[in-house]
Amino acid sequence: IQDPSNANPNPKPNANPAKKKRNLPGTPDPDAEVIALSPKTLMATNRFICEICKKGFQRDQNLQLHRRGHNLPWKLRQRTNKEVRKKVYICPEKTCVHHDPSRALGDLTGIKKHFSRKHGEKKWKCEKCSKKYAVQSDWKAHSKTCGTREYKCDCGTLFSRKDSFITHRAFCDALAEESARLTSVAATSLNFRNDTVNLPHGFAGRGVQDVAGIPQFGSGFPQDFSGMPAPGLPEMVQMAPANLFGSSSHFPGFENGGATSSNSNNLSLSQLPQGLKEEGRNEGNLMESLSSLYSDNQNKQSKANASPMSATALLQKAAQMGSTRSNPSFFGNSFGVMSSSSSHTAPTFMASSSASMSATSNKLDKLMLQTGGKPSEPSLLNMHHPGSNSFAQSLTRDFLGMSNDQSPRPFLPQELAKYAAIGSTMGLSQFTSSNH
Amino acid sequence: MMSLSPSLGSSYPWLKELKSEERGLYLIHLLLTCANHVATGSLENANIALEQISELASPDGDTMQRIAAYFTEALADRILKTWPGLHKAINSTRVVDLVSEQALVRRLFFEVFPFLKAAFLLGNQAIIEAMEGEKVVHVIDLDAAEPMQWIALIRGLSARPEGPPHLRITGIHVRKEVLDQMGHRLSEEAEKLDIPFQFNPVVGELEDLDVERLHVKTGEAVAISSVLRLHSLLASDDEPLRKKLPLALKNSNGIHLQRALQMSQNTLGELLEKDTVNGYSPSPDSASSSPLSSPVSPKVDTFLTALRGLLPKLVVITEQDSNHNGSTLMERLLESLHSYAALFDCLESTVSRASSERLKLEKMLFGNEIKNIISCEGAERKERHEKLEKWIQRLDSAGFCNVPLSYYGMLQAKTLLQGYNCNGYKMKGENGCVMICWQDRPMFSVSAWRCRNSL
Repeated sequence: IQDPSNANPNPKPNANPAKKKRNLPGTPDPDAEVIALSPKTLMATNRFICEICKKGFQRDQNLQLHRRGHNLPWKLRQRTNKEVRKKVYICPEKTCVHHDPSRALGDLTGIKKHFSRKHGEKKWKCEKCSKKYAVQSDWKAHSKTCGTREYKCDCGTLFSRKDSFITHRAFCDALAEESARLTSVAATSLNFRNDTVNLPHGFAGRGVQDVAGIPQFGSGFPQDFSGMPAPGLPEMVQMAPANLFGSSSHFPGFENGGATSSNSNNLSLSQLPQGLKEEGRNEGNLMESLSSLYSDNQNKQSKANASPMSATALLQKAAQMGSTRSNPSFFGNSFGVMSSSSSHTAPTFMASSSASMSATSNKLDKLMLQTGGKPSEPSLLNMHHPGSNSFAQSLTRDFLGMSNDQSPRPFLPQELAKYAAIGSTMGLSQFTSSNH
Repeated sequence: MMSLSPSLGSSYPWLKELKSEERGLYLIHLLLTCANHVATGSLENANIALEQISELASPDGDTMQRIAAYFTEALADRILKTWPGLHKAINSTRVVDLVSEQALVRRLFFEVFPFLKAAFLLGNQAIIEAMEGEKVVHVIDLDAAEPMQWIALIRGLSARPEGPPHLRITGIHVRKEVLDQMGHRLSEEAEKLDIPFQFNPVVGELEDLDVERLHVKTGEAVAISSVLRLHSLLASDDEPLRKKLPLALKNSNGIHLQRALQMSQNTLGELLEKDTVNGYSPSPDSASSSPLSSPVSPKVDTFLTALRGLLPKLVVITEQDSNHNGSTLMERLLESLHSYAALFDCLESTVSRASSERLKLEKMLFGNEIKNIISCEGAERKERHEKLEKWIQRLDSAGFCNVPLSYYGMLQAKTLLQGYNCNGYKMKGENGCVMICWQDRPMFSVSAWRCRNSL
């Protein structure tokens, strides 16, 4: 374990009659002996091991004292009287600044701590906050002060330093939302064809009123951050369609952002299940699963968007439907319609399809065996991987078992719209390619 | 039902009766089905799907209808390339986008969305901070089309406590007129503020750039800015791969039903992975879509190394943060469906459906990007957006290390986003980089870099 170039650390300095002279920081003694310890040595905590009980000690002195307990011969090394050549230590990490002898550190403990802090793993974690430390003493020191002096932002973030707290508050979401609620809504944008520089006092005003209680916002920043434009944020920020700045020139053709989204779309989820009922559907299971599907998603969507479904929400829903297929009867029929090229060929298609059904069902069986159909496999929309087999399974069930005798019945549009899982496309290609 | 698409007598009358949400779901299904057919070469089935989509999709309709319209056009374009003669013929009278139209769309993108503004704020702040104390600053814009960023920078630099530096801006762009306009605007602005300024236009494709033409002088501090441009350099890399393909496959493109039939025997997985539209099967060498594999892209690596050779003080990169560079059609389709859904949703939430500006953005900007992602391959496919983690790897390999974006810059960008008074715009910091998001989805990433191991 010990590096050959390693010398034992000096015994306690208070054994010295005269205090050790300290060099200025960053300037190691030019006559000092440069010692290069290996990473292993630097990280080793208990290098001195008792041969009897294998207990480890950081210092040889302590091991010797411990050996007395085993009635083993022990010897404390005396500090030699002659002048000992000063030792300095370099960091083994080649890319490190302290790898260079001219930047060596004068203290063994120092180099060990440095190595851990900069190149080591942060194993010590503060219980109260998420801060991690590589050196135990750093961790201890932190734990003592952690949580003692705190500034808390409205958003819940804690700070131990006043300056970071203040900077954060200016930046914080929670605050902005509050001020947005307070100020009037007038979503506009400045007209860019107007080149005059806009420095509305509105902006400075905001600094005082809305960013609550932080007078430094306007004046403090230019001092804290060098190289800032003096009066505040650059004009581009103020070019935003901002209610904050109070300007109100309209960009032609655009309506107020806030106003349009809710009233232009008359879709609402609550309409859908009713709509279905009106069609006079009489299939019990179909209806149940349909309405449960929609009510399910209404809950899920509360976070995503308001009543009109965004494309993103539709995609999510389609992905969910693909992966949580519960009612197999959907797929069976709909497939037939998918493949038909036009209404007038539908009957002929159906005729031929029933004939080929048995043929395809064999192929499907083979397919199922090959792919080992896992019904819960997420759909393509979720995983971007080869599609779910749940569809294929249900298709088989339908063709083989003829579950709900639905084939001769005309296909209703609602059924088609119920699935968007990729699994269905797999089945489709199977189905159609075999028809040619 | 709001479909306004002209139909030559609807073959599917019942489609009209679908309610909005059902229609949306069905459109998603149809798009995926169609794409799968295109990928496996079953063009007849793809055609059926296209027909149905056409009944439902519309550029004037709701979000999903609009998205479907562009995706379906892209898929159709891709199919048509099977017959190169036909494809060329049908596009023979198509007018290439006028410079003025392009400029308008660019301006619209800048004004309607906060993305570019936020990126400019972050970039400029990083540049100002990096250039503190510098007397001569040389900014290189890899795609110099939008003067607003540099106007703001000029104003920012003029307000420096130590006074403005001597500023040079070099702009690279393929069209001379765009550079002339830009040079004019910027010189005007600099003159107003009495800043020693010089604009150097470099006309040409970025892909062909010789860094000598940038005339970087010793002693000047260089900042390089790339806004939504770097990803096109990933496009040249398919060339060597294409040469490997057997000639026979090149022309087939799904006409061979025999092949299609054989495929039905394959596992579901293989079906999805095969992309035979251009006879292009992803080989193990091709740029994989797994997030952390090392990308094979010599062209961009060479370019980045050349940039590093200029010893820039700072490089700021803004890119779309989506993976639209998957090697198979399906991968790209799925990913782009999600990303453009977010962008279209964003428009839906902020702009009226009747707006012609919105329509222009959707058609000329997003529609063209979608077409490129879906219908093109090889050197033609320029919209190779990739996620930030891949860019980080590349920049790291080229000898750059990350410079965390300044808190003050983020503050400005955040204020800007909040000013839009729309809850959807969000920003998050990650490892010193910033992601500008719509709802939960990162749309654009901004990051700053300096040369590693340099003082």
